[in-house]
Amino acid sequence: MHSSAPAGLEPGSFRDPESRVFYSGDDVYRALSSDGLSDFEALEATGLLDGERVVGTERASDVAALRGLLVHEPAAVLRHERIPFVSYPYEWTFSMLKDAALLQLELLLAGLEHDMVLKDSTPYNVQFRGARPTFVDVGSFERMREGEPWVGYRQFCMLYLYPLLLQAAKGVSFQPWLRGSIDGIRPSEMRPLMNFRDRFRKGVFTNVILHAKLEERYADRPQQVKDEVKRVFKKELFVANVRKMRKLVERQSWDPPEGVWTAYGERNSYTDDDARRKDEFVREVATSRDWKLVWDIGCNNGRYSRIAAEGARTVVAVDADQGPVELLYRDLREEGNDRILPLTMNLADPSPGLGWRGLERRSMPDRGKPDLVLALALVHHVAISANVPVKEFIDWLASLGTALVIEFPTREDPMVKKLLAPKRDGLHPDYELDFFERTLKEAFEVERSERLESGTRVLYYARPK
Amino acid sequence: MTTVLAYLDPGSGSMILQIIAGGLAAVAVTAKLYWGRLLKFLRIRKDEPEAAKPDAARGSDPA
Repeated sequence: MHSSAPAGLEPGSFRDPESRVFYSGDDVYRALSSDGLSDFEALEATGLLDGERVVGTERASDVAALRGLLVHEPAAVLRHERIPFVSYPYEWTFSMLKDAALLQLELLLAGLEHDMVLKDSTPYNVQFRGARPTFVDVGSFERMREGEPWVGYRQFCMLYLYPLLLQAAKGVSFQPWLRGSIDGIRPSEMRPLMNFRDRFRKGVFTNVILHAKLEERYADRPQQVKDEVKRVFKKELFVANVRKMRKLVERQSWDPPEGVWTAYGERNSYTDDDARRKDEFVREVATSRDWKLVWDIGCNNGRYSRIAAEGARTVVAVDADQGPVELLYRDLREEGNDRILPLTMNLADPSPGLGWRGLERRSMPDRGKPDLVLALALVHHVAISANVPVKEFIDWLASLGTALVIEFPTREDPMVKKLLAPKRDGLHPDYELDFFERTLKEAFEVERSERLESGTRVLYYARPK
Repeated sequence: MTTVLAYLDPGSGSMILQIIAGGLAAVAVTAKLYWGRLLKFLRIRKDEPEAAKPDAARGSDPA
């Protein structure tokens, strides 16, 4: 939803016929059908929109421009506050998905007090403002119908509960699973992943084993089941189930391995001269302009994301390793930080376009190009570990049209030596300071550079040509 | 509106499960209640002060 998003319909908003999101200029709008409008009016009356939990929303008057967006003529148009940078659950860490799940359940419970429900339970309806989860799909709220069960329960399991369980119970990262399937993990897929011991874990028998079994058994009788459920289902049951789910989600926990904690703390406190000069270099660039969007790629514990945030409105802090990003998120959450968005993603295998037409979920550059990128202690990992040619990497950065702070550790650097050690001699001939500098100058206007005291690391500040 | 109209398929098995899960919860609550009564009846657990409160509250109610 950044300013570079194309005008017109949001390609990821088509599933719900009562409400569609579109852009005009820098603004985000939502067109409502008449049913959608009645639901929205009921929602307004609950006061749920007043807090911080739901994205800022107001009525807009420009209905005329929207003909043809909905099956029926839009009955009303809403204008939404813009989320600085859109992110997806397969880029979140464990605690981010858990917090989004709890927000979803809190809102559902709060809605139920006013006979309002959420018609779905997808984490794609939650966005982060820095470390603060915000519910963005106002169109998900609808008036409760008599005898209606929790329609989003299955989706909640598939996109929230199972991924969290997978990581909490098995230590398996959920991100590749969510990236692999936009609808999440099905009950029938989750069941075989649970062993005998897992079945005694709280919530597993009911929500996984029994769930999969019942799904199999009743798959061919949807109408009968619907009628039967409608006859017996009561609101109390609904509330009890949501409360139970909240308890279950609250119980789920995962911690990064011990080594990550140690490294996280150490890097926060190192005080040698190199580190100080690096801090200053980054700070000088970060505060030299009013940067709108900074990407700190290879952010590690977020040390430089924090420095960048001194001068930037929004910083997206990305690292391939979920561990430090998880710890960074926990710290930012405690601080109430709403400017640094921590994400986990491997830059050598970044988030692609996914879903219908590959447009429902977009690649990172498609969600908003940065005006400054920090690539500190990164290029050796990309070039040596991931085998991406140095020139390819520089050209990719240049294609973003961004300014750049980049650090080049020379072949003499202990970390580079470590990465080269298992490789055949003579590999990565392009990983040389001269070649790197030449390539950088071809693609960028290099403003200044500085060799750090220890001599094996060089910093550059470059601007787009 | 007579039928449940959701754009999302709630899943037949998932709906049944909610009744069972909710039912189990209801059974548990009931069992707890009776268990408490049984303990009181057997004088294993004493009446909690809350039990006397409603009377006192009623007595002081100005209405």
